[in-house]
Formats: sequence, C-alpha cells, structure tokens
Amino acid sequence: MRLFVWSATRLFSAALTLLGVSILIFGAMRLMPGGYATIVLGPLASPEQRAELTASFGLNDPILVQYAHWIQTAFGGDFGRSLVSNDPVAAELGSRLPVTLQLTLMSAIPGVLIGAALGILIAVRRGTRGRALGRIASALGVSLPEYVVGGIAVYLFSRYALGLTVGGYVPFGEDPATNLAAMVLPASVLAVFVVSATARTTRDAVLNVLHEPYITTAVSRGQSPWSIVRHHVLRNAAIPVLVVASTVTAYLLGGAVIVEYLFNLPGVGSYVVQAITRRDYAVVQAGVLLAAALFIFTNMVVDLLVGVIDPRLGVSK
Amino acid sequence: MKRLDGIARSGLVFLLALVVLVVVAQVTGLGGDPEKIVGPRLAPPGPEWWLGTDSLGRSTLPRVLQGTGTSLLLSAVAVLATAVVATALGVLAGYQGGALNEIVMRVVDVLYSFPAIILAILVAALVNPGLDAAVASIVLVTIPLMTRVVRAAALTVSHRDYVTSAIISGARLPRVLGRHILPNVAGTVAVQGTYALSIGILVEGGLSFLGLGVQPPQASLGVLISEGTVYLTYAPWLLLGPGVVLVLAILSINVLGDGLRDQLDPRTSRSLT
Repeated sequence: MRLFVWSATRLFSAALTLLGVSILIFGAMRLMPGGYATIVLGPLASPEQRAELTASFGLNDPILVQYAHWIQTAFGGDFGRSLVSNDPVAAELGSRLPVTLQLTLMSAIPGVLIGAALGILIAVRRGTRGRALGRIASALGVSLPEYVVGGIAVYLFSRYALGLTVGGYVPFGEDPATNLAAMVLPASVLAVFVVSATARTTRDAVLNVLHEPYITTAVSRGQSPWSIVRHHVLRNAAIPVLVVASTVTAYLLGGAVIVEYLFNLPGVGSYVVQAITRRDYAVVQAGVLLAAALFIFTNMVVDLLVGVIDPRLGVSK
Repeated sequence: MKRLDGIARSGLVFLLALVVLVVVAQVTGLGGDPEKIVGPRLAPPGPEWWLGTDSLGRSTLPRVLQGTGTSLLLSAVAVLATAVVATALGVLAGYQGGALNEIVMRVVDVLYSFPAIILAILVAALVNPGLDAAVASIVLVTIPLMTRVVRAAALTVSHRDYVTSAIISGARLPRVLGRHILPNVAGTVAVQGTYALSIGILVEGGLSFLGLGVQPPQASLGVLISEGTVYLTYAPWLLLGPGVVLVLAILSINVLGDGLRDQLDPRTSRSLT
C-alpha cells in the first residue's frame, strides 16, 4: 500500500512536470522573434503569403486550441515537419535515436560501475594522503568538460595511429567492429564525467554511512572491514549512488550534444545543433521536448527504485 | 570557526591569482595586444608568443587572458543574479510554505527537467547568440538547484526555537527573514554559488563551443576552444591554452566549493550538479 501510494504520487508529479515542460517549450516557440510565418517564409514574403500560412497552420486559433493540438499530435508521435528539409521530424529522430542511445549506454554502464568501485576505495582508505589525492582526482574529473577532453582525444587519435578511429561512424548492424572502433572514443570522453561524478557521490555516501553508530558497533564487535562494507555500508550507501543516476542522465543528454557535434556522429544531439544554426524550430522543439521527457522519465524511475529500496520513504508523509 | 583546508585554500589562491592576472593584463596590456598580428599563422609556442599564434597570426596568450576575463565576468554576473533570485525565492518559499511554496517548487521542477546544455540551447533559440544568451542560459540553468537547496535550508531554520521566539516577541516578517533566516542560509548560498560559478563557466564554454554563446571576434574561453578545435591537427596549442585555463579555473572553484561545504557541515554532502 505504501509503495502504491508512493508510486502514484511520483507518477502524478512526473506527469505534472512534463505538462509544465511542454507549456514552457510551447511558450518559448510562440515568443520566437519574428513570428512563425517570418521564420518559415523568410523576411521577403508578402503579407498575403504570411496570412495564408498563418491560417493554414492554425495560428489564428485561440492559444489553448493550438497548444492542445500540438500536444495531441506530439503524443501521437507526430512532431511536424522540418522547416528546412520538409521531412517528418519524428522519422529523422527515430533513425538518429539509436546512435545517441548506444553512445550514452556505452559510457553510462561502465562509467557508473567503475565510478562506484573507485568511490568506495577512496572512502575506505585510511591514509590522509590517499584521501586527498582521491579528492583532487575526483574533483578534477568533474572539471574536465567534454569539449576539452574530446578535442585532446581527437588530436591524439587522429595524429597518432592509436587503434581507434575518429569519426567514420557506421551503424552497428552493418559492421559491428567498425562501429565500435568509432564509438569507443566518444563514449570514453563522456565516461570521464560519469566515472568522476559517480565516484564523488559514492565517496560521500560511504563516508556518511561510516559515521553512523552501527558501524562503530560493528567495528567494536570485531567484524572484518570487508564484511562491514558489504553488510552495512553498501546497502545504506546505495540510495545516494542510485540518485546520481539522474545527474548522470542529465549530463549525458547534454554531453551527447557536444560529443556528437565534435565526433560527427549522426545522433539526436548533432541534429538539434544543426537545426538551431539553421533556425529549424520544429526540430529544436521536438529535440528539447524529447530530452526533457527522457530526463523526467529517468528521474521517476530512480525515485521509484529508491522507494522500493528504502522502506522509510513515503511513510512519514 | 574552522579554517579552509589546504586543498580548498590553494583553489582560492589560484582563482584570485587568475583574476588578478586578467585584470592586470587588461589594465597594463601585459602579454601584448590581443588584436595585433605578431607573427606567422598557427606558429607553435615560442619566446615571442608563449601560447603560439592563431589562424590570423595573433598571439594566443593575450586572447586567452581576455577570454578568461570574459568567461569569468559573464559567469560571475549570471551567478550573482541567480544567487539573488534563488535566495529570495528559496527563503520565501521555505519560510512561508503554502501556495507560494507550491508554485515556486513546481516552476523549479520544470526548469530542473532540462539538462543544462539543452536548456541553454532553448534559450539560445529565443535570444540571439551572444553575451545575453550566455548570461540568460547560465541563470536559468543554475536557478533550480540553488532555489531548492536554499529553500530546504530555510525550511529547517524556520522551525528553530529562536525563530519562533522572534515571532512571539512580535518581530515582523522582514525582520524575521533578515535577522534570523538569511544569516543562517548564507553559508548554503555561498557553497551553492561556488558550484554555480563552475557550472556557469562550463555552460558558457559549451554554448560558445557550439557557436551559440559569445560570438567571435569577442574572445571567451569557449570561443577560443571552439576556434582551437577547428585547427586541432595543425595547431593543438590553440585548444590546450584556453582548455587548460578553463579546466584549472573550474577545478579550483570546485575544490573551493568542497572546502566551504565541509566547513559548513562536515557531514552533509551535496555534490556538484
């Protein structure tokens, strides 16, 4: 029952947030300088052409009708057509999504595992020097933006033959080996932040748990350090580490934009960047909505998992 | 009061040194004229141009100094705006609760649902690329987290006995907020402000890198990194110079933030982003 109420509340608030996000994006697109007709037809169109286009897109309808129409079609999977190529945006997004998904999964899964292991190691280290080193290293890791690390990686791997290719993406289905050779480098660039962010959070979480009285009890009982870590620390530290997944998702959705742009990968991110330089608002609108929806969804899943793991949540409320 | 530890202090010292260097360079022309063509194009670092020259033959060092100034100033202005707005909203929402709290938190939730660069892209679509777009993006990206954290701190403080006793003894709202709530959330604001500054520099860099932030010929670290990426295989120093400065600036701000946070409360852990 507790879990049911908790889940229902969480689902409701995610839906509410998504509604807010859609209103914000819709509003932003309506505020666009110049208005829709000018953006589509350019500044030289005649007033009649503009009036005709405005009418044909339903832009004379009340604003609420327009919004309802947009939401209705967007949820049906129709994001309209690109203002530049006139191709359906949804089809293009669909063909590009696998690239972005592969990129994010290839950096997120190894990144979180390595980061969590490192974080535990840093936290349980006794020596102050090792701890200080770990602190600087993990702070450095989250201070390395992908546009700097990526640039250096591109330079090193294109200048010296180090085995991985820069660019030259082919779909995994066509040629798995070439695909991986092209994807490992961009994924590693993204993984730098994932590893450090996870390590930092894990370190803090484990340190917090290590201060708990039940750890002192376990130590005084003579339990071995490893058994303490396994039985008392990991379980209790799991929640903050799980929550870092939402930070990582947010980072990956944004970082993918920059890495795809830098490595010339045909993903959703490079599509949106291309669209914004061409003022292709239909694509920008769809891309931003998709990113926000994915992020809201991940946050909701993380919260639901935390609710399952932590029996305290949802009781007091 | 505990002092900052060594790592955090070195971060602070580095940051101050960087600011002083940028200001001195701006005032005295130290490092040379950023606009002047001093030598061959894309020359590697040498005694006359310490960080090499760019595609027009301009020395990179003065441009990096200028760009650092732009990036730091722009992020600082944005974070200051964020701090003012987030503190006002957070304190009011946390202390007053009720409908105000609900509205503020829902709006913050919505803003928080956009990954930083994605939100910045949306802003850049609305505002023409440039300084305004960069500042507006940083403000919108940093406001949600700061408001949330300040609100949580204000909420905790508002249940303390001294606040209750102030209310009972007839203190009006501005006095309660100004004398009792604000001083007690100031530390939180400082820590979050530090982290926000590093996020600001990151966002400016990313936005300018994509060509949506500061526009050339104006220099910012992001603009210089973006230019460096174009000539990467011929002139890697064009990326390395501004890249290293950017990373060191963000790193020093982050360790300073960590130090402030540990000083404020050695046990709580609110990490970056």
